[in-house]
Amino acid sequence: MLRRKKFLFAILAIIPTFVIFGWVRMFPIIETLRLSMYDWNLLSKNKTFVGFSNFSQLFRDDQFLDALTNTAIIAFGAMAVTIPVSMALAGVIYHRTRSRFAGFYETAVFIPHVVSLVPAAMAWKWIFDAKLGPLNAIIMSLGGEAQAWLFDPVLSVICIILLVSWQTLGYAVLIYLVGFRNLPKSVYEAARLDGASGIQSFLFMSVPLLKPITLYVSVVTLISGFNVYAQAYVLASDTQGAPGRLVRVLVLDMLENSFQNFRVGYAAAEAVILLSIVLVLTAVQFSLLRQKGGN
Amino acid sequence: MPSHKRYGPLGKTVTLSAGLMLAGSISAQAQDIVVWGGFPELTDYYERVAEGMSDDYPDLNVIVEPIGLRDHEKRVALALSSGLDDATVLELIGSTANRYIVNDLLPPAPSGVADFVNDGENFEPFFRDTATVDGSVYGVPLFRGQGALFYNTDMLAEAGLDGPPTTMEEYDDYAAKLTQRDEGGTPTVSGWSLRLSGGGAGIAEKFWINMHQHGGSVLEQVGDKYRAGYANEAGLAALRQYVNAVSGDKTVSIDMPADAAAFQRGQTAMFIRESWVIGDTEKKAPDLNYDTALLPRGSIALPVNLYVSGGSDKAQEAAWAFAIEANKPEHLIWMLDNVGWLPNRVGVDYSGVIEAKPQFSAFVDLPEDYELFTLPSIEPINEILTRFAAKLTEAFADPSLAGDDEAIMAILESSAEETNAILDRAGILAE
Amino acid sequence: MSAKARTRRSNFLIDVALFFICVALLLPLIMLIANAFKTPAEMLQWPPTLLPRNPTLDNFVTVFTETPLLRWMFNSFAFASLSMIAIVATSALAGYIVAKFPFRSINVIFILFLTTAIIPFEVYMIPLYFQVKALGFLNSITGLLIGYLVMSFGIFLIRQNVIASIPDELLEAARIDGAGEFWIFTHIVLPLLRGPLAALAVLAFFQAWTAFAWPIITLTRKTAFTIEVGLANFQSAYTVELSLLSAASAAVMVPSVLAFVLLRRNFVEGIAASGMKE
Repeated sequence: MLRRKKFLFAILAIIPTFVIFGWVRMFPIIETLRLSMYDWNLLSKNKTFVGFSNFSQLFRDDQFLDALTNTAIIAFGAMAVTIPVSMALAGVIYHRTRSRFAGFYETAVFIPHVVSLVPAAMAWKWIFDAKLGPLNAIIMSLGGEAQAWLFDPVLSVICIILLVSWQTLGYAVLIYLVGFRNLPKSVYEAARLDGASGIQSFLFMSVPLLKPITLYVSVVTLISGFNVYAQAYVLASDTQGAPGRLVRVLVLDMLENSFQNFRVGYAAAEAVILLSIVLVLTAVQFSLLRQKGGN
Repeated sequence: MPSHKRYGPLGKTVTLSAGLMLAGSISAQAQDIVVWGGFPELTDYYERVAEGMSDDYPDLNVIVEPIGLRDHEKRVALALSSGLDDATVLELIGSTANRYIVNDLLPPAPSGVADFVNDGENFEPFFRDTATVDGSVYGVPLFRGQGALFYNTDMLAEAGLDGPPTTMEEYDDYAAKLTQRDEGGTPTVSGWSLRLSGGGAGIAEKFWINMHQHGGSVLEQVGDKYRAGYANEAGLAALRQYVNAVSGDKTVSIDMPADAAAFQRGQTAMFIRESWVIGDTEKKAPDLNYDTALLPRGSIALPVNLYVSGGSDKAQEAAWAFAIEANKPEHLIWMLDNVGWLPNRVGVDYSGVIEAKPQFSAFVDLPEDYELFTLPSIEPINEILTRFAAKLTEAFADPSLAGDDEAIMAILESSAEETNAILDRAGILAE
Repeated sequence: MSAKARTRRSNFLIDVALFFICVALLLPLIMLIANAFKTPAEMLQWPPTLLPRNPTLDNFVTVFTETPLLRWMFNSFAFASLSMIAIVATSALAGYIVAKFPFRSINVIFILFLTTAIIPFEVYMIPLYFQVKALGFLNSITGLLIGYLVMSFGIFLIRQNVIASIPDELLEAARIDGAGEFWIFTHIVLPLLRGPLAALAVLAFFQAWTAFAWPIITLTRKTAFTIEVGLANFQSAYTVELSLLSAASAAVMVPSVLAFVLLRRNFVEGIAASGMKE
């Protein structure tokens, strides 16, 4: 009797959220899957079923493959920058928890994460500017050679990686801080009594102990890396006078195919590929997590 | 501030249906028409047109909303494919509008408007035809994007050059002589600014203009079908010229400031652009000494028309009236004088403006044999140009291509294959 | 004594290093604000200046007169606040249910929630656009909100907190005293979740505040723009001075950063609380 009452309450309470989920998430996701099998130009009323032909075309499409490569480089690059930097930063900030500046550190690190993308990208665009930007000014005053940051095929990708990492760093640091706070203090005491230095205990104890957190952070940074769009859009946007090299990324290619080339089915197929990549990566990371949990 | 219907922050799902009903009832009463443009500098012009209508339409509220061209085209695609709520005047390039028309997403103009457009006293056949599909008028011609060479007269004089270049070989010579360099030889002021980076079709469009001077066309029309027309001598000459400017003579570099902004700041000596630069320069660099010249062979002429979609019949009627009002001589003269875009309507006396601003002469005093071309009205035009642009930007940035005609040709050929594949997919590839 | 002095010295060095790192992270934003006060001519100077030589407010005046920046800020604020309310409400209830009501059907629903968590918004944005369009909610905050009503991570976060910090015995005791399920939720569960809910609120708010791809396709009316869309369009218009863009950016950035600084304590503690009480 009580159990039934509980069940009734649970179902009633979760239904609104479930309905919203179905409506704004599951339905459009299924619709995307369906559209990926169609040839549809957005404008006409007819959608032609084409099976997997969109997918087979995609893998022969230089532009898509270019976008895929760039996006993967950016996502993994941003992860490679974010993970070690945020872990080290969080470790040091945790170490200084009792410092009167602790609040400042936490805030300063997190602020880039809450700043709107466009203003942030605008700031970086100026920094990277080849002819007017402070980055080249510093390099040249140190005797280096000015670089065409936003124009070089390699450097322009690095610029986006830096911008993405700068934005995700704060979130990663925060999650790591939580991780550090939950580490068993007794182990560290013991290590300290054994004469381990701060750096040693960081490398040989914190890093392994924080593995679950690292996996979580890497899932989050990878997923957000694969969704990179606004950064590429703003850094190379058509402001005349000084555009930059357009780093083609998946979401950008997808939107261009939908709204400029009018190939919605094709764009949906791209979305499905993006979806599969993200699913596979997440599955890999969680299976790694499970293995560690078993040990 | 004009009033707008808003649904307010009705966050809860329960109220969604109520919001729907509200939306329906308000737009039925609304006397709003919206003007969507892709050229923000025309805002004041449209506002003036709206004011000009206030006598005949006292209750009409015109909301002028121009944004950047790329975003504008995106919102038009989205809005037309799902239907516009308000009567909207759409500013569209003829070739872009075509694909909406063939999909029945833009209505034909009412007969009064069609008569206005068909009247030979108002528009030349070329512009009338860009607003017409299968014999029906769909839009009202307004202005065109036409290119000419802009050059800094002070810089030319300093370099001892007398008058503008008239052949593409001279363009190279001029660029070499006009480039200013630092001690290391790096250009600080480009001799001839080219569009070398950025996103999208613009790069290929600029390439097309240059290639036109070499006697070629990016797309060749055969009957009502097309094929890539750039894997040939003209395409080679055009791309070679770009590559040589960047990696050979080094008269320009990819990361240099470019375009109108650079020209106005004295960072480049020459560049090819549309007439709006005249209006823009008057505002931003009134003291700049510059002139314009015809291009060696001819120019692009991209006609921009006004179309109408959405809203009630009454509001649509007002929107068409707006498109006609926009073509009143006083507004067109104001546009030419203050914005610098070239109005298409004939029989209007523009001479006052042209005399005061002689730079316009390279846009309006065209010799008989000056060849104007326009983008073909085919559905995949943007995709073709964007993909070609991606190949071009790679080539511009590749120093190993300098002096290697074979490699340049190979790039053009592989890109042409891609272009033809797109045409083939659309069913309009010429054999 | 000397060991203590050494610790203090190393701590001091760490503080100095951290301070510089933090300033370096904030430097792009500081420079953006500085640029907002520069004249267009100074923006073109080489080498670039860090601080404006002749600070001017002209850029701000131009930006506020030429664009409805305040309107955009209001739109962003309204959208972010409503999204925050919706997400906090749905996450609190759903998170509690999935944590404490172990029925099979509830578990299935929870797994569905979780799977959609990793699916990027951009993947299903276009079909969602047509749904919103069919309802007539383009160009409205309601339409924007439809994309941001729920957050899978929020449900997950609350679930973890409920499991960690609300013992079953507490709920059972209340039930034995005759309390209704909804009363238990509002009077026992919610007060205990204050920390994580506050953290979630901040996360949700800024997620909507920084939303880009969705607003840029659903909003076409200048008066309906959010800050991100407004600024992106502002920049893609012809030849806009960088100093003007900086002014617009600075004007919208400063209040959001201040808001975060004020909310920070709640936020960090709320996230940190998720595991602390184990």
